[in-house]
Amino acid sequence: MASNMDKVFITDKQTLEDLNITGRYRPDSLFSIFNQTKTGGGEKLLDEMFHHPLTDPDLINQRSNRFLYFQQNQLAFPVETIVFNEMENYLHSGGGRTFFGSFFQVVRLYALKAMGLRTEFEQLIKGLGATAVALNHLNKFFSELMMEDPENPLKTEIQQFLELYNSVALQWLPNFTQEQKMNLFQLVARDHHLRNSLAKELKKVLQLVYNLDVYISVSLVAATRGLSYAKALPAEKYLIKANNCRHIAIENGVGNPVLIDSSNNLLFLTGANMAGKSTFMKSLGTTLYLAHMGFPLAADDMEFSVKDGVYTSINVPDDINQGYSHFYAEVLRVKNVAEEVASGKNLLIIFDELFKGTNVKDAFDATLAVSEAFSEYKNSAFVISTHIVEVGETLQQNGHAGVLFRYMPTEVIDGKPRYPYTLRTGISSDRHGMVIIKNEKILEIIKGDEEV
Amino acid sequence: MAFITDKQTLDDLNIFGRHGKQSVFSLFNFTYTKGGADLLERMFRNPMNEASAINKRSRLIRFFQTARLSFPFKSEWFDAIEPYLENTDTRSRLSHADNNLERKFRNLIGSDTDYQLIAKGVFGVYSILYTFRQFVESMEKSSAGSSWDEEMVVIKTLLSEPDFHKLYQQKLPKKLSFEESAEYDKLFRFIHRNTITRLLSYIYSLDVYISVASVAERYGFVFPSALDANDHRVELVNVYHPHLEKPRANSIRIDPQGNVVFLTGANMAGKSTFMKSLGIALYLAHMGFPVPAERMEFSVRDGLLTTINLADNLNMGFSHFYAEVLRVKKIAREVNSGKNMFVIFDELFRGTNVKDACEATIAIVGAFAERTNSMFIISTHIMEAGEVLRDQFRNIQFLFLPTKMEGTKPLYTYQLEKGITSDRHGMIIIQNEKIIDILRNGKKKTITA
Repeated sequence: MASNMDKVFITDKQTLEDLNITGRYRPDSLFSIFNQTKTGGGEKLLDEMFHHPLTDPDLINQRSNRFLYFQQNQLAFPVETIVFNEMENYLHSGGGRTFFGSFFQVVRLYALKAMGLRTEFEQLIKGLGATAVALNHLNKFFSELMMEDPENPLKTEIQQFLELYNSVALQWLPNFTQEQKMNLFQLVARDHHLRNSLAKELKKVLQLVYNLDVYISVSLVAATRGLSYAKALPAEKYLIKANNCRHIAIENGVGNPVLIDSSNNLLFLTGANMAGKSTFMKSLGTTLYLAHMGFPLAADDMEFSVKDGVYTSINVPDDINQGYSHFYAEVLRVKNVAEEVASGKNLLIIFDELFKGTNVKDAFDATLAVSEAFSEYKNSAFVISTHIVEVGETLQQNGHAGVLFRYMPTEVIDGKPRYPYTLRTGISSDRHGMVIIKNEKILEIIKGDEEV
Repeated sequence: MAFITDKQTLDDLNIFGRHGKQSVFSLFNFTYTKGGADLLERMFRNPMNEASAINKRSRLIRFFQTARLSFPFKSEWFDAIEPYLENTDTRSRLSHADNNLERKFRNLIGSDTDYQLIAKGVFGVYSILYTFRQFVESMEKSSAGSSWDEEMVVIKTLLSEPDFHKLYQQKLPKKLSFEESAEYDKLFRFIHRNTITRLLSYIYSLDVYISVASVAERYGFVFPSALDANDHRVELVNVYHPHLEKPRANSIRIDPQGNVVFLTGANMAGKSTFMKSLGIALYLAHMGFPVPAERMEFSVRDGLLTTINLADNLNMGFSHFYAEVLRVKKIAREVNSGKNMFVIFDELFRGTNVKDACEATIAIVGAFAERTNSMFIISTHIMEAGEVLRDQFRNIQFLFLPTKMEGTKPLYTYQLEKGITSDRHGMIIIQNEKIIDILRNGKKKTITA
């Protein structure tokens, strides 16, 4: 178990881009969806969580339980953002290192103030005041929480905080108001405690607040978007199971069930162009990614055995600069993934429209060979979409075990295609490329039968 | 009627390019005057679709190439005359009465900017007229009987305006006195303004012709001859892309017996570059300009539409496939109305699955093939569509750009060959990368469910 904790969840830039996970400045990225944090430290912590999903089922479940706890108790962030920011600034701008250092610093500001240069002194008073106010608010919030639920998930950290709050050095806090004047000695002593002798402890308090910020803001997103939590299982179960798996960024998205295990570890997906194949694949990828973060996700009743990583190939760009054609870029990507799979790792692999940058025969041969070879790795899960339905038919004829055939249907109503976005069992040969061309009456126009 | 083309085509062929980048326009733009550059741009914006007009311009440029003339004017003169001639306000006219002590004093302290501007303008026009007259005299012999002769007659008449005679009598001075400036200001801006503008427009044409001729000379471009539109024939010998350092040339003949070119080849084999070379040559030919080729004959077309780098428009909810469908529809409309079009389509229907693409390619190319008055260059990686079309149509030319495998490395010759490429190194590449071997020999776990 200990070795599990050090293990990094493997993914790469292509996957993060495909699933639109970390784009901080993209409004529809997964990170932006969850980033409702109120503090800079909270945002940073959230960013770290997005960059480091977990691989230990116990840690995952622990974290998701915390989110769930905050969601159920509907707790609100206890400190005003402005006040907290001032506290952060104050604590981060160091005072003197020794008591005398602090003393001289304060005296210097006092002297400057006497000369009419008030700004720095006022800043000190303001920062110290804000810190005191914030600590008092936190004390109230945490004390109440402990009273209501002594077994709450943050109890260890909270107890540490309460001990600090009630320590002799901070006994002035409960009676503090921002209006009351402090004499020079009080000011020096308080400043020295907050910024020097108790600096380490207060840093922990900041960390606690950042955590609190993340728990509260993420659970709020979960509540407003109607998200659920997944249950992490040991890796050896080789299972990904969920109902109503949707794309988190799409409002009122259509959900689909997913069940991939070691006996059926390759989902062979077909369907027309706009039928929703890519969206389904992205839904599954993002859901599994969030699941490994212990985050709320857009799927119901999800259970999953932890994986070592996820790789997707959904929008592989060609690399003209390196002289790679689109096809070659795809080949290199598949090779990369093949090496990872062959090394024995438990992975989720998603390939959308494999080998579309080449001719039909090559694409057929390549897709078939790669699908068969991959599916032998029962410990990994594969989702492969293609337009070449013959690959699926050949897989079926060969009686290849462990392949789930699913498709996204197209219904043509009055000559217009409609997409229900719900998975069905089988292989679809739905193609409406020609339907679109017929709808646009292009052939008639060229032949001159159509008035333009 | 204007030559039909559109933004997509201009972008594909990089006719104007992005700001500051190399473009076909910048390749030809060695003009000295802004008026010349503007005129050149107008020519680039308006290719022609009449053989006589095209041939006339190309004869003119060829004359200047043979005459090896250089532009005789200084560009600083033109900088001064533009604001000067635009100012038609009579109150700004110089008059003798203004030549008083105040003006002289202001001149001394340098605060008479208005006067300076006008004086510079007057001197500019003066110098231009003087130089033009000399230039015309010097080329009188060489232009006799040439295509430029017609213009020469008009220019000479314009220059021999009696009011200008005095100007030609002396040498070109360094500066004009106030009295002289005032006198010529009246002539240039007010009495003979029209003559001056007409002369300038001839100078701008001269600028363009000399610039284009020098480019033709420098790069060895050739002047195409425009044929009758009803021949429906385009023939190019060793056409190449003008922006490449070491371009490979190819030859092609398109006529009603083979008005559709079905081009195949691997991804890096040079399909797009060849199509762009063809498009650029055809575009320049319709401007009467020299082209990067050894020889070119072409029946004048009504328009040129290319689709090489088609962007999808996901914001408007268009998939790439739908963007292609709409593009084909636009082309179909032009073709339908009986126009003689030249159409280039790179990787037709690459935005959809191979089966749809195959079916759609057969249907669309087949329909195009029946329009024998238009010409189509269509590239695809779906060679299967070509095999079906080959059985159905006699007037489709099948060409390909080959890939030779040297061991495991693909080599490209960039030389067109006849046929449909059977290059299928998709699986070879996969085998080279040993993907299946990696998977076959990897650590597989036995799992008991």
